[in-house]
Amino acid sequence: MLAIDKNRPSPAWIAALRGQFPTETEIDRVLTRRMQRRSGPGYSPLPLDVLVSGVESLICSEVRDAFKVSDARWLSGGASKLQMAFTLSWNRPGVGPERTPMVLRMEPSESIVETSRLREFQLIKAFQGVVPVPPVFWCDANGEHLPYPALIYGFASGVTKPSASVSGVSGLGTHLPPELRKRLAPQFVDHLVKIHTFDFRRADLSAFEIPSVGSTQCAEWGINWWERVWEEDHDEDIPLMRLCAGWLRRNMPTLDRPVVVHADYRLGNFLFTEDDSRISAWLDWELGRVGDRHQDIAWTTSRAFGHLDEDGKTFLTCGLLPENRFLEAYEEASGLAVNPKTVHWYKVYNDYMMVTLLLATGYRIAHGGKTHQDVLVTWLMGIGYMLLDEMRTLIEEA
Amino acid sequence: MQMHPALQIQSMMKALTDVVLPAVDPANKLAQEQTRLVLGTLALMAQHLPLRFQFNCDELTRLLKLAGILRQVARGGPQTTVCVDKMALAATSAVGTLERGQAGPAVIEQAVRDMRAVTSQVVRSIYIDGDEAALKQVEGAVLTVSRDQLLRDRSWMLMQGWEPDPQAIPKIQDLLEARAA
Repeated sequence: MLAIDKNRPSPAWIAALRGQFPTETEIDRVLTRRMQRRSGPGYSPLPLDVLVSGVESLICSEVRDAFKVSDARWLSGGASKLQMAFTLSWNRPGVGPERTPMVLRMEPSESIVETSRLREFQLIKAFQGVVPVPPVFWCDANGEHLPYPALIYGFASGVTKPSASVSGVSGLGTHLPPELRKRLAPQFVDHLVKIHTFDFRRADLSAFEIPSVGSTQCAEWGINWWERVWEEDHDEDIPLMRLCAGWLRRNMPTLDRPVVVHADYRLGNFLFTEDDSRISAWLDWELGRVGDRHQDIAWTTSRAFGHLDEDGKTFLTCGLLPENRFLEAYEEASGLAVNPKTVHWYKVYNDYMMVTLLLATGYRIAHGGKTHQDVLVTWLMGIGYMLLDEMRTLIEEA
Repeated sequence: MQMHPALQIQSMMKALTDVVLPAVDPANKLAQEQTRLVLGTLALMAQHLPLRFQFNCDELTRLLKLAGILRQVARGGPQTTVCVDKMALAATSAVGTLERGQAGPAVIEQAVRDMRAVTSQVVRSIYIDGDEAALKQVEGAVLTVSRDQLLRDRSWMLMQGWEPDPQAIPKIQDLLEARAA
């Protein structure tokens, strides 16, 4: 067998993986695009001027009146996309002349998580008025105006952690004081319920496919997605990852009800206003799909996103509330049952996905110099081993 | 050689802390975050540097143990048989590498990579055409060996601060010394 050069993938190898791991059409499109471009140049620093020009070009294609982009500046936060804040002075439809603070969210050359800007755009738009989300304005799905695919949304006020607190990158390791937890936890549950009970069939979600009820198609699409990425990106192989892929396929749950899954529903991905402790915006919808609610429920309870209570014994889901209380509140508010066995399966699935992103894609893109923050991507690889061990424990317990 | 990487890392960290970081534009959040991440990465490297060879030898020993078990229990169709045979060859080579007292760090690291690859392919093949009884034994062996290795991997990354209960993780020096003893 010929050695495969993953940094210069051949068309035949790309085609073979697409055939081996069928998934949703839009997911296939973005994964194929990144592999076709992988042998190209890495990420080079982009001056703000270039992004401003791209933003102006995109807005010009959508807005007829005169406008002005000003106050452009870099934002940090998040591990996957470039973000630039700016102010748009324009005649906003239905509002009139306005100076609107906005954010450009753009992919680097390759991202730690390769996703579709169109899907992210459609999801945020669908949830306007359902749960707090930033207003979303325009999408450059194929990078026709900007160097890479991007979207523009309104700047939402709020913080991801108390201003005085200390946390790790991407909001991980954030500790919230007990009083704040009491205020945020009910909203955290309520918003998840609203997402899972949302009538997605009435929204424009044309970039999504709906898995069939009463089958394992939903689970299979998910495993195919991440096993494909593991094959495309990993450097050092890991026997436990091979075991996990096999275990997931042998134990796939059937889908009882398709819902919108946020897929990154956790502390660090919502903003809240500090004066009244109100969640003001849910961010990072890029991994969202129409799928199984148990995926979100399992995700929020990951060890990576929580911490121990002050008693040193009780683990708090997303640093907000104990897992049993979280599940009780969810079931009561949604009327949807939580199947512990399916949650367990999705915990393993989520760990498989996370380890793939951290240890396989993280390595591959940093090696290729593909992002604006390779040092962050490399740093985050360190979480992978804790999650691998969590995965191992979960499989042993099953 | 007087110019030792430990000294070089220490000097780079001091320059970044004393000179570069204070000069980074406070409004440039990306630059602020990345400067601190470079400092953190250098600190992690300083801790890993003197232990990396020992860590890799330790892992290779564990992978060879796993390969020995898989060779005994992995039974199945043609794909499993081919993968087990390849693993056996790689294991023979890796045992020789480990036993050669003068094998350099790069050789040991390559042996670790090779053993990870071949044992992974045996596990993959067992789900394709392995015997049902063999599958259970393979799963048991991988989970057991992974537990020991992942404890070391987590300890290796302890400084980064991800662990919710860091006190529960032994220090990497202690884990590696326990093996040596």
